Amino acid sequence: MLIFILPLASLVIIWWTVYWMGLIRVLPSPIEVAGTMVSRWRILLRDLGSSAVRIAAGFCLAMVIGIPVGLLMGTNRYVHFLLRPILTLLLPVPTLAWVPILLIMWGVGDQTIIFAIFLGGFFSIAYNTATGVRGIDQDLILAARIMGASRRELFAKVLLPGSMVSVLAGLRLAIGYSWRALVGAEMLAAASAGLGFRVFNSWRFVAVDVMFASLVIIMAIGFIMERFLVEPLERRTVKRWGMIRV
Amino acid sequence: MYELASFLFPLLLFVALWEIFAHTGLVKPILLPPPSKILKRLLIEAGKGAGEIGLADHLLNSLYRLVIGFSTGAMVGALSGLGMGMNRWIYGYLNPVITVLMPVPGITWTPILVLVLGFGDPTLITVTFIASFFPVAYNTAAGVRSVKRDHIWAGKIMGVDRMGTVFKILIPSSAPYIITGLKLGLARGWRTLIACEMIAAALTGIGFWIFDAKEYLKTDVIYGGIIVMAMVFVIIDRIGFGYLERQTIEKWGMSADIG
Repeated sequence: MLIFILPLASLVIIWWTVYWMGLIRVLPSPIEVAGTMVSRWRILLRDLGSSAVRIAAGFCLAMVIGIPVGLLMGTNRYVHFLLRPILTLLLPVPTLAWVPILLIMWGVGDQTIIFAIFLGGFFSIAYNTATGVRGIDQDLILAARIMGASRRELFAKVLLPGSMVSVLAGLRLAIGYSWRALVGAEMLAAASAGLGFRVFNSWRFVAVDVMFASLVIIMAIGFIMERFLVEPLERRTVKRWGMIRV
Repeated sequence: MYELASFLFPLLLFVALWEIFAHTGLVKPILLPPPSKILKRLLIEAGKGAGEIGLADHLLNSLYRLVIGFSTGAMVGALSGLGMGMNRWIYGYLNPVITVLMPVPGITWTPILVLVLGFGDPTLITVTFIASFFPVAYNTAAGVRSVKRDHIWAGKIMGVDRMGTVFKILIPSSAPYIITGLKLGLARGWRTLIACEMIAAALTGIGFWIFDAKEYLKTDVIYGGIIVMAMVFVIIDRIGFGYLERQTIEKWGMSADIG
Protein backbone atom coordinates (compact mmCIF):
# COMPACT_ATOMS: atom_id res chain seq x y z
CA MET A 1 0.00 0.00 0.00
CA LEU A 2 2.68 2.45 1.07
CA ILE A 3 4.81 1.40 -1.88
CA PHE A 4 1.89 2.27 -4.07
CA ILE A 5 1.24 5.66 -2.50
CA LEU A 6 4.81 6.98 -2.32
CA PRO A 7 5.25 7.43 -6.09
CA LEU A 8 1.91 9.21 -6.26
CA ALA A 9 2.90 11.46 -3.38
CA SER A 10 6.03 12.33 -5.33
CA LEU A 11 3.81 13.52 -8.18
CA VAL A 12 2.02 15.87 -5.79
CA ILE A 13 5.40 17.13 -4.60
CA ILE A 14 6.47 17.77 -8.20
CA TRP A 15 3.18 19.59 -8.77
CA TRP A 16 3.76 21.67 -5.64
CA THR A 17 7.33 22.47 -6.67
CA VAL A 18 6.20 23.61 -10.10
CA TYR A 19 3.60 25.80 -8.42
CA TRP A 20 6.11 27.18 -5.91
CA MET A 21 8.65 28.02 -8.58
CA GLY A 22 5.90 29.70 -10.58
CA LEU A 23 6.79 27.87 -13.80
CA ILE A 24 3.17 27.77 -14.94
CA ARG A 25 1.38 31.00 -14.26
CA VAL A 26 -2.17 29.70 -13.87
CA LEU A 27 -1.40 26.52 -11.94
CA PRO A 28 -3.18 26.29 -8.55
CA SER A 29 -1.42 24.73 -5.56
CA PRO A 30 -2.46 21.26 -4.36
CA ILE A 31 -3.67 22.78 -1.10
CA GLU A 32 -5.87 25.25 -2.93
CA VAL A 33 -7.37 22.42 -4.98
CA ALA A 34 -8.00 20.32 -1.87
CA GLY A 35 -9.69 23.35 -0.31
CA THR A 36 -11.89 23.75 -3.36
CA MET A 37 -12.87 20.11 -3.19
CA VAL A 38 -13.98 20.58 0.40
CA SER A 39 -15.81 23.87 -0.09
CA ARG A 40 -17.49 22.87 -3.36
CA TRP A 41 -18.33 19.32 -2.37
CA ARG A 42 -22.02 19.76 -3.06
CA ILE A 43 -21.54 20.70 -6.71
CA LEU A 44 -18.88 18.09 -7.28
CA LEU A 45 -21.03 15.37 -5.74
CA ARG A 46 -23.91 16.35 -8.01
CA ASP A 47 -21.58 16.16 -11.01
CA LEU A 48 -20.45 12.75 -9.89
CA GLY A 49 -24.07 11.62 -9.55
CA SER A 50 -25.09 12.84 -13.01
CA SER A 51 -22.07 11.20 -14.58
CA ALA A 52 -22.72 7.92 -12.79
CA VAL A 53 -26.34 7.77 -13.94
CA ARG A 54 -25.35 8.53 -17.52
CA ILE A 55 -22.60 5.96 -17.75
CA ALA A 56 -24.77 3.30 -16.12
CA ALA A 57 -27.60 3.96 -18.57
CA GLY A 58 -25.33 4.08 -21.63
CA PHE A 59 -23.34 1.03 -20.68
CA CYS A 60 -26.41 -1.08 -19.89
CA LEU A 61 -27.91 -0.07 -23.21
CA ALA A 62 -24.71 -1.10 -24.98
CA MET A 63 -24.71 -4.44 -23.20
CA VAL A 64 -28.40 -5.17 -23.75
CA ILE A 65 -28.13 -4.45 -27.48
CA GLY A 66 -24.49 -5.39 -28.13
CA ILE A 67 -24.52 -8.92 -26.73
CA PRO A 68 -27.62 -10.10 -28.69
CA VAL A 69 -26.28 -8.55 -31.89
CA GLY A 70 -22.96 -10.29 -31.30
CA LEU A 71 -24.67 -13.61 -30.57
CA LEU A 72 -26.74 -13.29 -33.71
CA MET A 73 -23.61 -12.55 -35.73
CA GLY A 74 -21.84 -15.48 -34.16
CA THR A 75 -24.59 -18.02 -34.77
CA ASN A 76 -25.94 -16.93 -38.13
CA ARG A 77 -23.44 -16.69 -40.92
CA TYR A 78 -25.63 -14.49 -43.12
CA VAL A 79 -25.90 -11.90 -40.40
CA HIS A 80 -22.17 -12.20 -39.87
CA PHE A 81 -21.49 -11.77 -43.57
CA LEU A 82 -23.63 -8.64 -43.72
CA LEU A 83 -22.57 -6.94 -40.50
CA ARG A 84 -18.87 -7.78 -40.24
CA PRO A 85 -17.56 -5.19 -42.73
CA ILE A 86 -19.72 -2.48 -41.18
CA LEU A 87 -18.55 -3.28 -37.66
CA THR A 88 -14.92 -3.52 -38.79
CA LEU A 89 -15.13 -0.05 -40.30
CA LEU A 90 -17.05 1.56 -37.46
CA LEU A 91 -15.09 0.01 -34.58
CA PRO A 92 -12.09 2.36 -34.89
CA VAL A 93 -14.16 5.52 -35.48
CA PRO A 94 -13.62 7.82 -32.50
CA THR A 95 -16.82 7.77 -30.45
CA LEU A 96 -16.88 11.52 -30.15
CA ALA A 97 -17.08 11.84 -33.93
CA TRP A 98 -20.76 10.88 -33.63
CA VAL A 99 -21.45 13.67 -31.17
CA PRO A 100 -21.91 16.46 -33.78
CA ILE A 101 -24.72 14.46 -35.42
CA LEU A 102 -26.30 13.68 -32.06
CA LEU A 103 -26.10 17.36 -31.17
CA ILE A 104 -27.96 18.29 -34.32
CA MET A 105 -30.53 15.60 -33.62
CA TRP A 106 -31.14 16.13 -29.91
CA GLY A 107 -29.16 19.17 -28.81
CA VAL A 108 -27.23 19.24 -25.55
CA GLY A 109 -28.46 17.00 -22.77
CA ASP A 110 -28.61 13.54 -21.30
CA GLN A 111 -29.97 11.84 -24.41
CA THR A 112 -26.96 12.83 -26.50
CA ILE A 113 -24.47 11.86 -23.81
CA ILE A 114 -26.08 8.50 -23.07
CA PHE A 115 -26.23 7.65 -26.75
CA ALA A 116 -22.56 8.56 -27.16
CA ILE A 117 -21.69 6.24 -24.26
CA PHE A 118 -23.81 3.54 -25.88
CA LEU A 119 -21.92 3.94 -29.17
CA GLY A 120 -18.62 3.82 -27.27
CA GLY A 121 -19.44 0.46 -25.73
CA PHE A 122 -21.64 -1.17 -28.35
CA PHE A 123 -19.10 -1.90 -31.07
CA SER A 124 -16.51 -3.62 -28.92
CA ILE A 125 -19.18 -5.67 -27.11
CA ALA A 126 -20.86 -6.82 -30.32
CA TYR A 127 -17.55 -7.48 -32.06
CA ASN A 128 -16.03 -9.48 -29.23
CA THR A 129 -19.20 -11.47 -28.58
CA ALA A 130 -19.35 -12.45 -32.25
CA THR A 131 -15.65 -13.39 -32.24
CA GLY A 132 -16.18 -15.46 -29.11
CA VAL A 133 -19.14 -17.44 -30.45
CA ARG A 134 -17.41 -18.07 -33.75
CA GLY A 135 -14.27 -19.17 -31.95
CA ILE A 136 -16.06 -22.08 -30.25
CA ASP A 137 -14.79 -25.43 -31.42
CA GLN A 138 -17.25 -26.76 -34.00
CA ASP A 139 -16.76 -30.27 -32.61
CA LEU A 140 -18.27 -29.17 -29.30
CA ILE A 141 -21.36 -27.85 -31.04
CA LEU A 142 -21.69 -31.01 -33.15
CA ALA A 143 -21.17 -33.21 -30.10
CA ALA A 144 -23.91 -31.38 -28.22
CA ARG A 145 -26.23 -31.75 -31.20
CA ILE A 146 -25.53 -35.47 -31.55
CA MET A 147 -26.33 -35.93 -27.90
CA GLY A 148 -29.68 -34.35 -28.53
CA ALA A 149 -29.29 -30.84 -27.17
CA SER A 150 -32.20 -28.59 -28.01
CA ARG A 151 -31.55 -25.14 -29.42
CA ARG A 152 -32.01 -23.62 -26.02
CA GLU A 153 -29.69 -26.10 -24.34
CA LEU A 154 -27.11 -25.60 -27.06
CA PHE A 155 -27.26 -21.91 -26.44
CA ALA A 156 -27.21 -22.02 -22.63
CA LYS A 157 -24.73 -24.85 -22.17
CA VAL A 158 -22.35 -24.52 -25.12
CA LEU A 159 -22.49 -21.18 -26.88
CA LEU A 160 -22.79 -18.90 -23.88
CA PRO A 161 -20.10 -20.47 -21.65
CA GLY A 162 -17.87 -21.05 -24.66
CA SER A 163 -17.90 -17.40 -25.66
CA MET A 164 -17.76 -16.00 -22.13
CA VAL A 165 -14.05 -15.13 -22.19
CA SER A 166 -14.50 -13.07 -25.28
CA VAL A 167 -17.75 -11.48 -24.12
CA LEU A 168 -16.11 -10.38 -20.89
CA ALA A 169 -13.08 -9.11 -22.79
CA GLY A 170 -15.49 -7.02 -24.84
CA LEU A 171 -17.19 -5.71 -21.70
CA ARG A 172 -13.83 -4.84 -20.19
CA LEU A 173 -12.84 -2.84 -23.27
CA ALA A 174 -16.29 -1.28 -23.35
CA ILE A 175 -15.95 0.02 -19.79
CA GLY A 176 -12.90 1.99 -20.88
CA TYR A 177 -14.53 3.27 -24.05
CA SER A 178 -17.74 4.31 -22.27
CA TRP A 179 -15.78 6.12 -19.61
CA ARG A 180 -13.85 8.09 -22.22
CA ALA A 181 -17.05 8.73 -24.17
CA LEU A 182 -18.76 9.95 -21.00
CA VAL A 183 -16.14 12.55 -20.14
CA GLY A 184 -15.69 13.66 -23.73
CA ALA A 185 -19.41 13.87 -24.50
CA GLU A 186 -20.03 15.78 -21.28
CA MET A 187 -17.45 18.32 -22.36
CA LEU A 188 -19.20 18.82 -25.68
CA ALA A 189 -22.83 18.23 -24.84
CA ALA A 190 -23.70 18.56 -21.15
CA ALA A 191 -26.19 21.23 -20.20
CA SER A 192 -25.66 21.66 -16.49
CA ALA A 193 -23.77 18.94 -14.62
CA GLY A 194 -21.28 16.11 -14.94
CA LEU A 195 -17.56 15.69 -14.37
CA GLY A 196 -16.63 16.45 -17.97
CA PHE A 197 -18.98 19.41 -17.98
CA ARG A 198 -17.36 20.75 -14.80
CA VAL A 199 -13.86 20.57 -16.32
CA PHE A 200 -15.04 22.27 -19.49
CA ASN A 201 -17.13 24.90 -17.76
CA SER A 202 -14.48 25.88 -15.23
CA TRP A 203 -12.00 26.05 -18.09
CA ARG A 204 -14.20 28.57 -19.90
CA PHE A 205 -14.42 30.72 -16.79
CA VAL A 206 -10.76 30.08 -15.95
CA ALA A 207 -11.75 28.71 -12.54
CA VAL A 208 -8.58 26.66 -12.51
CA ASP A 209 -9.02 25.36 -8.96
CA VAL A 210 -12.42 23.82 -9.80
CA MET A 211 -10.94 22.42 -12.99
CA PHE A 212 -8.15 20.68 -11.11
CA ALA A 213 -10.55 19.46 -8.43
CA SER A 214 -12.74 17.81 -11.08
CA LEU A 215 -9.64 16.35 -12.69
CA VAL A 216 -8.54 14.78 -9.43
CA ILE A 217 -12.01 13.26 -9.09
CA ILE A 218 -11.87 11.93 -12.65
CA MET A 219 -8.51 10.34 -11.86
CA ALA A 220 -9.89 8.75 -8.71
CA ILE A 221 -13.01 7.41 -10.46
CA GLY A 222 -10.95 6.02 -13.33
CA PHE A 223 -8.66 4.29 -10.87
CA ILE A 224 -11.56 2.90 -8.81
CA MET A 225 -13.29 1.55 -11.92
CA GLU A 226 -10.03 -0.03 -13.07
CA ARG A 227 -9.40 -1.62 -9.68
CA PHE A 228 -12.88 -2.78 -8.74
CA LEU A 229 -14.50 -3.40 -12.11
CA VAL A 230 -11.92 -4.14 -14.76
CA GLU A 231 -9.30 -6.03 -12.77
CA PRO A 232 -11.75 -8.41 -11.05
CA LEU A 233 -13.31 -9.09 -14.44
CA GLU A 234 -9.87 -9.88 -15.76
CA ARG A 235 -8.96 -12.07 -12.78
CA ARG A 236 -12.20 -14.04 -12.94
CA THR A 237 -11.90 -14.71 -16.62
CA VAL A 238 -8.77 -14.30 -18.62
CA LYS A 239 -6.37 -15.27 -15.88
CA ARG A 240 -8.45 -18.01 -14.30
CA TRP A 241 -9.00 -19.68 -17.64
CA GLY A 242 -5.30 -19.49 -18.32
CA MET A 243 -5.53 -17.09 -21.22
CA ILE A 244 -2.85 -14.53 -21.88
CA ARG A 245 -3.21 -11.21 -20.18
CA VAL A 246 -3.96 -8.35 -22.49
CA MET B 1 -9.86 -11.48 -53.96
CA TYR B 2 -12.88 -13.34 -52.60
CA GLU B 3 -12.03 -11.89 -49.22
CA LEU B 4 -12.17 -8.35 -50.61
CA ALA B 5 -15.42 -8.99 -52.46
CA SER B 6 -17.12 -10.46 -49.42
CA PHE B 7 -16.00 -7.39 -47.48
CA LEU B 8 -17.17 -4.87 -50.05
CA PHE B 9 -20.47 -6.47 -51.07
CA PRO B 10 -22.28 -5.97 -47.73
CA LEU B 11 -20.97 -2.42 -47.60
CA LEU B 12 -22.31 -1.64 -51.06
CA LEU B 13 -25.62 -3.23 -50.14
CA PHE B 14 -25.73 -1.13 -47.00
CA VAL B 15 -24.96 2.05 -48.92
CA ALA B 16 -27.64 1.21 -51.51
CA LEU B 17 -30.26 0.63 -48.78
CA TRP B 18 -29.21 3.84 -47.09
CA GLU B 19 -29.59 5.75 -50.36
CA ILE B 20 -33.09 4.38 -50.92
CA PHE B 21 -34.10 4.93 -47.33
CA ALA B 22 -32.82 8.51 -47.36
CA HIS B 23 -34.99 9.25 -50.38
CA THR B 24 -38.17 7.90 -48.81
CA GLY B 25 -38.26 10.93 -46.55
CA LEU B 26 -39.01 8.91 -43.40
CA VAL B 27 -36.05 10.63 -41.70
CA LYS B 28 -35.36 14.30 -42.16
CA PRO B 29 -32.79 14.64 -44.95
CA ILE B 30 -30.72 16.92 -42.73
CA LEU B 31 -30.25 14.09 -40.22
CA LEU B 32 -29.58 11.37 -42.76
CA PRO B 33 -28.35 12.72 -46.08
CA PRO B 34 -28.13 10.14 -48.88
CA PRO B 35 -24.64 8.69 -49.55
CA SER B 36 -24.60 10.28 -53.02
CA LYS B 37 -24.82 13.72 -51.41
CA ILE B 38 -22.06 12.84 -48.90
CA LEU B 39 -19.82 11.62 -51.70
CA LYS B 40 -20.45 14.78 -53.68
CA ARG B 41 -19.58 16.89 -50.64
CA LEU B 42 -16.40 14.88 -50.06
CA LEU B 43 -15.36 15.39 -53.68
CA ILE B 44 -16.04 19.13 -53.45
CA GLU B 45 -14.06 19.37 -50.22
CA ALA B 46 -11.23 17.26 -51.62
CA GLY B 47 -11.07 19.39 -54.75
CA LYS B 48 -10.64 22.70 -52.92
CA GLY B 49 -7.57 24.44 -54.21
CA ALA B 50 -4.99 26.78 -52.72
CA GLY B 51 -6.31 29.53 -50.48
CA GLU B 52 -9.17 27.46 -49.14
CA ILE B 53 -9.03 24.87 -46.39
CA GLY B 54 -10.24 21.59 -47.89
CA LEU B 55 -10.42 17.97 -46.91
CA ALA B 56 -6.76 17.40 -47.77
CA ASP B 57 -5.60 20.15 -45.39
CA HIS B 58 -7.72 18.82 -42.54
CA LEU B 59 -6.62 15.27 -43.08
CA LEU B 60 -2.94 16.08 -43.49
CA ASN B 61 -2.95 18.27 -40.39
CA SER B 62 -4.56 15.52 -38.33
CA LEU B 63 -2.14 12.92 -39.66
CA TYR B 64 0.83 15.19 -39.02
CA ARG B 65 -0.22 15.60 -35.37
CA LEU B 66 -0.91 11.89 -35.06
CA VAL B 67 2.45 10.87 -36.52
CA ILE B 68 4.49 13.17 -34.27
CA GLY B 69 2.43 12.56 -31.14
CA PHE B 70 2.19 8.82 -31.57
CA SER B 71 5.79 8.19 -32.61
CA THR B 72 7.22 10.13 -29.67
CA GLY B 73 4.64 8.66 -27.29
CA ALA B 74 5.37 5.13 -28.48
CA MET B 75 9.13 5.68 -28.25
CA VAL B 76 9.04 7.03 -24.72
CA GLY B 77 6.42 4.44 -23.79
CA ALA B 78 8.46 1.53 -25.09
CA LEU B 79 11.59 2.76 -23.32
CA SER B 80 9.70 3.23 -20.05
CA GLY B 81 8.13 -0.19 -20.42
CA LEU B 82 11.51 -1.75 -21.08
CA GLY B 83 12.93 0.00 -18.03
CA MET B 84 9.98 -1.17 -15.94
CA GLY B 85 10.45 -4.71 -17.12
CA MET B 86 14.16 -4.77 -16.38
CA ASN B 87 14.45 -2.84 -13.15
CA ARG B 88 12.13 -3.26 -10.21
CA TRP B 89 12.80 0.21 -8.83
CA ILE B 90 11.62 1.77 -12.07
CA TYR B 91 8.67 -0.61 -12.02
CA GLY B 92 7.86 0.26 -8.42
CA TYR B 93 7.82 3.94 -9.23
CA LEU B 94 6.10 3.99 -12.60
CA ASN B 95 3.52 1.26 -12.02
CA PRO B 96 1.33 3.24 -9.57
CA VAL B 97 1.70 6.37 -11.68
CA ILE B 98 0.59 4.53 -14.83
CA THR B 99 -2.21 2.71 -13.02
CA VAL B 100 -3.69 5.99 -11.83
CA LEU B 101 -3.09 8.10 -14.92
CA MET B 102 -3.88 5.57 -17.65
CA PRO B 103 -7.68 5.49 -17.14
CA VAL B 104 -7.89 9.29 -17.32
CA PRO B 105 -9.54 10.11 -20.64
CA GLY B 106 -6.96 11.89 -22.77
CA ILE B 107 -9.38 14.69 -23.55
CA THR B 108 -9.38 15.87 -19.91
CA TRP B 109 -5.77 16.98 -20.26
CA THR B 110 -6.73 19.38 -23.01
CA PRO B 111 -7.96 22.29 -20.85
CA ILE B 112 -4.79 22.24 -18.75
CA LEU B 113 -2.54 22.00 -21.77
CA VAL B 114 -4.36 24.85 -23.48
CA LEU B 115 -3.72 27.01 -20.44
CA VAL B 116 -0.02 26.18 -20.63
CA LEU B 117 0.66 25.76 -24.35
CA GLY B 118 -2.21 27.69 -25.91
CA PHE B 119 -4.45 26.57 -28.77
CA GLY B 120 -2.91 24.76 -31.66
CA ASP B 121 -0.47 22.04 -32.59
CA PRO B 122 1.65 21.93 -29.41
CA THR B 123 -1.42 21.12 -27.29
CA LEU B 124 -2.85 18.61 -29.75
CA ILE B 125 0.45 16.82 -30.24
CA THR B 126 1.06 16.65 -26.50
CA VAL B 127 -2.38 15.16 -25.88
CA THR B 128 -1.77 12.55 -28.58
CA PHE B 129 1.59 11.84 -26.99
CA ILE B 130 0.01 11.29 -23.56
CA ALA B 131 -2.76 9.08 -24.95
CA SER B 132 -0.32 6.90 -26.91
CA PHE B 133 2.26 6.66 -24.15
CA PHE B 134 0.27 4.71 -21.55
CA PRO B 135 -0.88 1.64 -23.51
CA VAL B 136 2.59 1.22 -25.03
CA ALA B 137 4.38 1.53 -21.68
CA TYR B 138 1.91 -0.74 -19.89
CA ASN B 139 1.99 -3.51 -22.49
CA THR B 140 5.73 -3.37 -23.03
CA ALA B 141 6.28 -3.69 -19.29
CA ALA B 142 3.88 -6.65 -19.13
CA GLY B 143 5.67 -8.24 -22.08
CA VAL B 144 9.19 -7.83 -20.74
CA ARG B 145 8.08 -9.09 -17.34
CA SER B 146 6.60 -12.18 -18.96
CA VAL B 147 9.93 -13.20 -20.54
CA LYS B 148 11.10 -16.46 -19.02
CA ARG B 149 14.00 -16.06 -16.60
CA ASP B 150 15.52 -19.21 -18.10
CA HIS B 151 15.94 -17.50 -21.44
CA ILE B 152 17.76 -14.58 -19.89
CA TRP B 153 19.99 -16.88 -17.85
CA ALA B 154 20.67 -19.06 -20.86
CA GLY B 155 21.73 -15.96 -22.73
CA LYS B 156 23.98 -14.86 -19.89
CA ILE B 157 25.64 -18.26 -19.66
CA MET B 158 26.33 -18.15 -23.34
CA GLY B 159 28.02 -14.79 -22.89
CA VAL B 160 25.42 -12.34 -24.22
CA ASP B 161 26.08 -8.80 -23.01
CA ARG B 162 23.44 -6.30 -21.81
CA MET B 163 22.64 -4.93 -25.23
CA GLY B 164 22.37 -8.46 -26.58
CA THR B 165 19.96 -9.37 -23.80
CA VAL B 166 17.76 -6.41 -24.65
CA PHE B 167 17.77 -6.75 -28.42
CA LYS B 168 18.07 -10.50 -28.87
CA ILE B 169 16.01 -11.79 -25.93
CA LEU B 170 13.76 -9.23 -24.25
CA ILE B 171 12.40 -7.35 -27.25
CA PRO B 172 11.76 -10.35 -29.52
CA SER B 173 10.15 -12.37 -26.71
CA SER B 174 7.81 -9.55 -25.77
CA ALA B 175 7.05 -8.53 -29.36
CA PRO B 176 3.38 -9.67 -29.28
CA TYR B 177 2.78 -7.48 -26.24
CA ILE B 178 4.68 -4.54 -27.69
CA ILE B 179 2.72 -4.74 -30.95
CA THR B 180 -0.57 -4.97 -29.06
CA GLY B 181 0.53 -1.92 -27.07
CA LEU B 182 1.42 -0.02 -30.23
CA LYS B 183 -1.96 -0.85 -31.76
CA LEU B 184 -3.84 0.26 -28.67
CA GLY B 185 -1.63 3.33 -28.39
CA LEU B 186 -2.29 4.35 -31.98
CA ALA B 187 -6.03 3.82 -31.59
CA ARG B 188 -6.12 5.83 -28.37
CA GLY B 189 -3.92 8.56 -29.78
CA TRP B 190 -6.17 8.85 -32.83
CA ARG B 191 -9.42 8.94 -30.82
CA THR B 192 -8.03 11.47 -28.40
CA LEU B 193 -6.61 13.67 -31.13
CA ILE B 194 -9.96 13.84 -32.94
CA ALA B 195 -11.74 14.65 -29.68
CA CYS B 196 -9.25 17.39 -28.82
CA GLU B 197 -9.50 18.95 -32.23
CA MET B 198 -13.17 19.38 -31.42
CA ILE B 199 -12.73 21.26 -28.16
CA ALA B 200 -9.39 23.01 -28.61
CA ALA B 201 -10.52 24.83 -31.75
CA ALA B 202 -7.56 24.27 -33.97
CA LEU B 203 -9.00 25.65 -37.23
CA THR B 204 -7.74 22.57 -39.06
CA GLY B 205 -8.00 18.84 -38.54
CA ILE B 206 -10.72 16.27 -39.18
CA GLY B 207 -12.12 16.63 -35.68
CA PHE B 208 -12.41 20.38 -36.01
CA TRP B 209 -13.86 20.00 -39.49
CA ILE B 210 -16.82 17.84 -38.42
CA PHE B 211 -17.46 19.77 -35.22
CA ASP B 212 -17.45 23.06 -37.07
CA ALA B 213 -19.82 21.61 -39.68
CA LYS B 214 -22.36 21.11 -36.89
CA GLU B 215 -22.70 24.89 -36.53
CA TYR B 216 -23.93 25.11 -40.13
CA LEU B 217 -25.94 21.87 -39.96
CA LYS B 218 -23.74 20.39 -42.69
CA THR B 219 -24.48 16.77 -41.81
CA ASP B 220 -23.02 15.59 -45.10
CA VAL B 221 -19.65 16.89 -43.92
CA ILE B 222 -20.01 15.10 -40.57
CA TYR B 223 -20.88 11.74 -42.16
CA GLY B 224 -18.15 12.30 -44.75
CA GLY B 225 -15.66 12.95 -41.96
CA ILE B 226 -16.68 9.77 -40.16
CA ILE B 227 -16.24 7.76 -43.37
CA VAL B 228 -12.82 9.31 -43.99
CA MET B 229 -11.74 8.55 -40.40
CA ALA B 230 -12.88 4.94 -40.66
CA MET B 231 -11.05 4.42 -43.95
CA VAL B 232 -7.84 6.12 -42.85
CA PHE B 233 -7.65 4.05 -39.71
CA VAL B 234 -8.37 0.75 -41.44
CA ILE B 235 -5.66 1.52 -43.98
CA ILE B 236 -3.10 2.38 -41.29
CA ASP B 237 -4.04 -0.66 -39.25
CA ARG B 238 -4.12 -3.18 -42.09
CA ILE B 239 -1.13 -1.99 -44.08
CA GLY B 240 1.11 -0.59 -41.33
CA PHE B 241 0.54 -3.15 -38.61
CA GLY B 242 -0.08 -5.96 -41.06
CA TYR B 243 3.43 -5.40 -42.44
CA LEU B 244 4.97 -5.08 -38.98
CA GLU B 245 3.36 -8.31 -37.82
CA ARG B 246 4.40 -10.25 -40.90
CA GLN B 247 7.98 -9.05 -40.50
CA THR B 248 8.21 -9.90 -36.81
CA ILE B 249 5.89 -12.08 -34.81
CA GLU B 250 4.32 -14.06 -37.64
CA LYS B 251 7.76 -14.94 -38.91
CA TRP B 252 8.68 -16.05 -35.41
CA GLY B 253 5.51 -18.10 -35.04
CA MET B 254 3.81 -15.95 -32.44
CA SER B 255 0.49 -14.15 -32.50
CA ALA B 256 -0.57 -10.72 -31.32
CA ASP B 257 -4.21 -11.73 -31.06
CA ILE B 258 -4.45 -11.21 -27.36
CA GLY B 259 -6.62 -8.08 -27.46
